[in-house]
Amino acid sequence: MTQQAQTGRLPADGPAPTDDVIRREAGFGIDDLLERLWDLLTSMKFGVIIILALAALGLVGTMVIQAPPGISADPAAKADWLNEVRPRYGGWTGIMDQLQVFTIFESIWFRALAALLTASLVACSAHRLPGLWKSATKPHVAIGEAFFTHAPQHEFIAVRGTSDEIRERVSRVLNKHRYRVVSEDDGVLHLYADKFRWGPFGTVIGHLSLVVILGGAIVGSMFGFRDSNFVVAEGSVAPVTSGEGISVGLVQFQDAYYTETGAPADYASEIVIYKDGTEVASQTIRVNEPLRYGGLSFYQSFYGPAAAMRVTDAAGNEVMADGVPLAWSDGDTGRRVGSFVIPGADLTVWVIGTAGTGDPIIAPGQMRVELYQGSQGTSVDAATIDQRTSAELAGYTFSFDREMQYTGLSVARDPGTPLIWLGSFLMIAGFVLVLMFPHRRVWGRLVVRSDGRGMLSLAGAGRRDVNSNTEFTDLVTDVRAAFTTPTDA
Amino acid sequence: MYKMSEYAFIAAILATGLALILYIAYALSGLRAARMQTAGGNVRTGVMGFSGGPRTAALGRYATILGWLGFAFLSAWLVFRTIATGHGPFANMYEFSVSFAWGVLGAYYWFERRYHQRMLGLFALPVALALMLYATTIPSTVEPLVPALQNNLLLSVHVAVAIVAYGSFTIAFAAALLFVIQPEGGRWGLPKPEILDDISYKAVVVGFPFLTAVIVLGAIWADVAWGRYWSWDPKETASLVTWLIYGAYLHARVVRNWRGRKAAYLLMLGFAATLFTYFGNLFFGGLHSYSGLG
Ligand code: HEM
Repeated sequence: MTQQAQTGRLPADGPAPTDDVIRREAGFGIDDLLERLWDLLTSMKFGVIIILALAALGLVGTMVIQAPPGISADPAAKADWLNEVRPRYGGWTGIMDQLQVFTIFESIWFRALAALLTASLVACSAHRLPGLWKSATKPHVAIGEAFFTHAPQHEFIAVRGTSDEIRERVSRVLNKHRYRVVSEDDGVLHLYADKFRWGPFGTVIGHLSLVVILGGAIVGSMFGFRDSNFVVAEGSVAPVTSGEGISVGLVQFQDAYYTETGAPADYASEIVIYKDGTEVASQTIRVNEPLRYGGLSFYQSFYGPAAAMRVTDAAGNEVMADGVPLAWSDGDTGRRVGSFVIPGADLTVWVIGTAGTGDPIIAPGQMRVELYQGSQGTSVDAATIDQRTSAELAGYTFSFDREMQYTGLSVARDPGTPLIWLGSFLMIAGFVLVLMFPHRRVWGRLVVRSDGRGMLSLAGAGRRDVNSNTEFTDLVTDVRAAFTTPTDA
Repeated sequence: MYKMSEYAFIAAILATGLALILYIAYALSGLRAARMQTAGGNVRTGVMGFSGGPRTAALGRYATILGWLGFAFLSAWLVFRTIATGHGPFANMYEFSVSFAWGVLGAYYWFERRYHQRMLGLFALPVALALMLYATTIPSTVEPLVPALQNNLLLSVHVAVAIVAYGSFTIAFAAALLFVIQPEGGRWGLPKPEILDDISYKAVVVGFPFLTAVIVLGAIWADVAWGRYWSWDPKETASLVTWLIYGAYLHARVVRNWRGRKAAYLLMLGFAATLFTYFGNLFFGGLHSYSGLG
């Protein structure tokens, strides 16, 4: 779209200077400042610089390891993570952290640029819309003579006939090229023809769609809910913390592998959704086949081993019987760890699985149980239990019934997604419209002398690319042909 | 079918390789003709300002025919491979590299037909050939799909659209390269800068909306598979960077004094970003690490 650059050349199409000039001369102060800001925001160079700056940040984001989301909220986890990457970045680690390079897409830099981009997009659109509207609906038909000798493409054709006849004939040629034709007569016949006059609106649609998408992202992060580490063991039900009384039960989890390569073939969790205790939905979810219920979506994400545990108190009452997902991994030993709390007691129970056949403490088929005083975290007692046996610890009987699996889901509610998809659709539609259907305009000026000989001037103000040039040349060739062949042939 | 696809692939490499040799010969004879012309020799000048004696024209024609043949063999590869695997060419680096080569050749011949600038082939064909040769170095075995990739329709469209975008950007790059290697004003019998500028622009005009669609389709897939339309995964981010660079190019072209050379440098940067996005799988891992190379 070179409209902006080119409209300047059309004498009648330029913005009315009066207001501007008056204001500029009236003085400085806040008006002046605002005006400069506006000029900056609507400047194409500034736009290009913002875009390239965003690209540079993006490049940093791909080259530098990014901290897992949410880690900056937890100083201890953050420090651990920084220590992990320190060998790689050495002395720079601290500085890079200060500069928010490890969380570049949440950094002040990124936010500032996104805000600037938004402001600039809105300003550009607002700046251009009136002009586009005007050139689509009220084009300048009557244009001064000088334009025809200065336009990037222009052509003079000697014609013959009455003004009306000539207009008819030229219009027919233009219509055949799918141009619409407007004419005005003030002694001189002015012609204006164009096609794809709505094409440039694609620019506005495409640019504002970016604002819609950014809006969707903001709505999502402000009003959305996300738990990427939701775990539930087979046979258990676990609550979703989104505050809607939803819980998820796992009937069973199955993983399948290709026999030849051993590569994973399928992960499937048969889940049931409860709302306030009553079943409301059920489905076998897979990667690519989430379950959606009431704005929440449940995605298959990961899986792992779980232990079916039972705890009875001294009186023989069952205080807990559930599957415990061993959802964490002990980085040093590679053992899988899960935990639960004994209701009504200040005891946290760790359930630890084997690290494999070489594990000196926990053999395959065994489960280790460690008790901690919940409030102080002090170790109370521990035992390693074989499958289908039990152990007495701190007055309770712990039974390890069997090994099973748990499934890890990502549970999300993102009210921003409709905006994201709407924006995406508008963006593609807008850019296709502006790039594939460029506005083409042709002006004509016809002067007929009393003897029936006339001069038709044609000028084009398309883009200065080869296509619009050839298109104009083709038009002119056809117009010429229309005047060299007999009318009533 | 798998065997057939392998044969088609080898035939495509041979045809493209031979075509490239002819393109080089064509360029060299053109260069000689141009020099003779400036030295006052008597050589006819072609339509687009490119000097073409009879021998050059014949060379060029054969080069084009062989290149088309290469494209036809690659198309056959695409069909056989799809039948053999039962899905689009998105499952590993091998499939995607060959498809990319197909896209480059397809885009190149589309532009050659429209603009008759065979000199572009001098830079476009090596890219296609390099991709194919690269593909011969990585395993081509057909392996069943891991769960995340079991979304045949969405992924096939995602990749098909990506191939169009990448193919177009390669042409934009080839034209930009021809643009910048020319001395200011002078042209060694190369296509005129305005034509090259126009070819680049047209290629980006096609490629940009397609790249937009690639990113959107990727986001839709991510939303379906992982519950998150955007996670700043390195491959996603790299494609966004590429998109931004081409977006900047479209604007830079409008700023009057950024046309030409500066815009051409942006295109080269954009192509570097395209390759970075494409080969990114190999070194930055993340959710897209399905290259099949471990
Ligand atoms: C990531 C951000 C952006 C993207 C992806 C984008 C994309 C585009 C595209 C595809 C076009 C059509 C180009 C053509 O017709 O050749 C365009 C045109 C335009 N853009 Fe942007 N744009 C972005 C940001 C901006 C910003 C920040 C501004 C304001 C400074 C801006 C101002 C314009 C204007 C005025 C045009 C019309 C050019 C003309 O006069 O023909 N854009 N943009």
